[in-house]
Amino acid sequence: MRFLPHTDTDRQAMLTSMGMDNMAELFADIPAEFHLAPGSLNLPDALSEAGIVRKFTRAAEQNRHAGNTRCFLGGGTYHHFVPAVVDYVISRGEFLTAYTPYQPEIAQGTLQALFEYQTMIARLTDMDVSNASMYEAATATAEAALMARRVTRKTRTIIAGSVNPRYRAVTENYLSRLDGEYVEVGFGAFGTDLDAVIAAMDTTTACVIVQYPDFYGSVYDLAPLREACDAHKCLMIVAFSDISAFGLITPPGAYGADIAVGSGQALGIPMAFGGPHLGVFACKQKYVRQMPGRVCGLTRDADGKRGFVLTLSTREQHIRREKATSNICTNQGLMCTAAAAYMTLMGDAGLETVARHSAAALNMLVSRLPDGVSAADGAHYNETVLSFVSRAKRDAFLATARHRDIFAGIPLEQLVRDSDARHLLVATTEMIEESDINDYIAALEVA
Amino acid sequence: MMNAQYSAVSGMQHEEPLLFEHAHEAPESINLPGVASEIPLTLDAFKRKTPPRIPGLSEPEAVRHFVRLSQWNHGIETGFYPLGSCTMKYNPRVNEQVARLPGLAHVHPDQPEDSVQGILTLLYELQTWLAEIAGFSDVTLQPAAGAHGELVGLMMIRAALDARGDQHRKKVLVPDSAHGTNPASAALCGMFTVEIKSGPDGRIDLDELKRHLDDNVAALMMTNPNTAGTFESDIREICQLVHDAGGLVYGDGANLNALVGVARPGDMGLDCLHINVHKTFSTPHGGGGPGAGPVAVNDTLKPFLPVPRIIKDGDTYRIETRDSQSIGSVLSTLGQTGVYMRANAYISAFGRNHLHKIAQDAVLNANYILCRLKDVYHVPFSGLCKHECLLTDEYQEKHGVKTLDIAKQLIDLGFHPMTVYFPLIVHGAMLIEPTETESRETLDAFCNAMLEIAAQCEAGETDMLHEAPVKPFRRRLDETQAARKPVLVWQE
Repeated sequence: MRFLPHTDTDRQAMLTSMGMDNMAELFADIPAEFHLAPGSLNLPDALSEAGIVRKFTRAAEQNRHAGNTRCFLGGGTYHHFVPAVVDYVISRGEFLTAYTPYQPEIAQGTLQALFEYQTMIARLTDMDVSNASMYEAATATAEAALMARRVTRKTRTIIAGSVNPRYRAVTENYLSRLDGEYVEVGFGAFGTDLDAVIAAMDTTTACVIVQYPDFYGSVYDLAPLREACDAHKCLMIVAFSDISAFGLITPPGAYGADIAVGSGQALGIPMAFGGPHLGVFACKQKYVRQMPGRVCGLTRDADGKRGFVLTLSTREQHIRREKATSNICTNQGLMCTAAAAYMTLMGDAGLETVARHSAAALNMLVSRLPDGVSAADGAHYNETVLSFVSRAKRDAFLATARHRDIFAGIPLEQLVRDSDARHLLVATTEMIEESDINDYIAALEVA
Repeated sequence: MMNAQYSAVSGMQHEEPLLFEHAHEAPESINLPGVASEIPLTLDAFKRKTPPRIPGLSEPEAVRHFVRLSQWNHGIETGFYPLGSCTMKYNPRVNEQVARLPGLAHVHPDQPEDSVQGILTLLYELQTWLAEIAGFSDVTLQPAAGAHGELVGLMMIRAALDARGDQHRKKVLVPDSAHGTNPASAALCGMFTVEIKSGPDGRIDLDELKRHLDDNVAALMMTNPNTAGTFESDIREICQLVHDAGGLVYGDGANLNALVGVARPGDMGLDCLHINVHKTFSTPHGGGGPGAGPVAVNDTLKPFLPVPRIIKDGDTYRIETRDSQSIGSVLSTLGQTGVYMRANAYISAFGRNHLHKIAQDAVLNANYILCRLKDVYHVPFSGLCKHECLLTDEYQEKHGVKTLDIAKQLIDLGFHPMTVYFPLIVHGAMLIEPTETESRETLDAFCNAMLEIAAQCEAGETDMLHEAPVKPFRRRLDETQAARKPVLVWQE
């Protein structure tokens, strides 16, 4: 077995040095009734390295993917460009095969990258501070709701109906075993009914969670929400699905959000059928001691040199145990390093270009829609809802598009309640070229 | 400090400023594809007023920046990494290669099911293998990490108890040797934990357990082998007692490496087990994630598995998103699929015929270290260890040397320290987990270093132990200052 360095001679010599004759003696403390005969599990026989490559290549070839199709799918995961350097950086064994940096003297690389990541996330979202990541956006949203309960010592949670249904489902699930009311309001017509959200607020409310751009890609003014949150002394939590938006549009912090959470997958992380992605979590400085998850801070070493450590650990599970701010231990450390590398390769200019191209592609697509298909009203970033006259028309289009290697959108009823099932959630990124849009429109015209 | 004219600090090891301190912006950003036409007028009102101030570096500068940072890190590819309870084993490179195949890495999670049959096959296969290896009837891949798996396990236990009318059962028994995530996870499920004291041998004390078993017990959370590295030989009785009292048994699979292919937690009476694939199945730790924490369950808990989940229907696979008894979803997607590709490749490489060698060599290596060190370091619990061995600083403390000093001196000698001050049930704990992927040569070198440190203590040559480490890029860091006035982002 090529991953095991010992020869049988080594093993025997080691056993002998311990006064043992055979391997079985090492397991004498496990009752005999539980011992498995070696090789008795129902598993296939070992594959060679070449055999593994062949197996995975065959499986991969059975899938369609963004490289051999045109991907107009969003809903929380987006096909953005990943520069080669990003994958190179996270393939370096020193980043890839290190543990959580508990021994900071020999983990300064991971720690400085985390500090740079936190700084850039704070700047991109215009928040004071960021943690060193959560698993992904849905759990980050749920953790934000839990944090608001700790900060306000209130238990009522309001979430807008235009928040990604998966974030809502996980948040509701996390809160369902705890005291307090969970309220979903403001199911606008493919957008956010902010008035309804505000109307639902009261003095017992711990937080209001909205998404911006919302699940339908709609962009709207959050200023009224800030005022209402101040009036009711509750936290304003802004979720997002595609952080690339903030290279172009006003970020949550500029509206005075208390907590901003969402997906950082757009920052150089492949879609990978749903993970590993990156959960972004940023908040105001004054709440930092209630923030969940790992966080990296600046300090000095014994010689006075600048260095970095994991800090504020008194919030965490291994110290506080049941009183911890969260049970999170492992996070998405490597994805932070990827995002840091991505952001510096882009810089302000590159991030703005990604956002402009993503929005421009949707704008071009929407402006060319033929009769019988319409897009949702209002300002949209890179995602919108297309409405067809009937389900049959929509499904005929999906089939035509698929035949032309276009994943044209997600049928809305797969994600939210949509009784007439004639809608499509469509997203664009900088990976969509004009020719792809031409092909998309052509498929619409024949369907 | 960063204004120094030259960057080399030791040989060819370099200082490297923060990205924000680099002198200049890149002349132009990366060349991006896409539609360069107009953004809609409706977005004009929402444009950012100020740029985010993300410092763009040219590609050569960016690569050099991150390569230099990487060189300040120690990884399993760099050297021995005996962190107890963390299972730092070699991460095969072929696993990285196959996980990056475009047909796996660039698949959107909402593609039609007929376009993702290949990846569903690999995920379903892994699900089946994990159930077989752990001895359970089914597995959910949704949890994103071990602590997340714990939460899911407790949610299912809660649901199962509620379904049988046991809403009042909220007491979760947790041995005092448990991982810190255990009590935190229980609190999130609206349950509370009661700590049960370990017996004199570091194992669960049956009488102590019985004392806590009553009508309010929801579950016992246990790790086996426990965090002292010893096997809970009374496991059958422990599970029986909890079940007889109407509770369920949750298994923390952090230490599954000791058992893989040799024995199965499911056969021992546990109701579920979370598996840290980033430990046992060698997916890279990445400096703190991504991991994955699938949970294996028996028939009692199977109806409550989270959705979405993969179902095999004849020769095709589909994704089930609704299930009346399910606890619901705990993640946006099916799970950390990219991590699971690597885990599948790892199990494929061992297969039926070699899998047991993982546990055998891991346990062999841990006992070898224990045997070589037991005369000079205090061993709190005698007898066999499993995949990790527990020592303390009791003998060295007489010379004023503590566990932390030993750990830091190891750094100067070229080894990543063991886990220190955990488990909490002994004073000055040093938990050493070598894993199966280390050679005897490496184990001997580490043991020699440990013996040398012990000898230094005996000889009273302890000054350098308090100073250590002096060789790495940074020396001991002031964690108190970092926590007192936290600086979490760079301010120019």
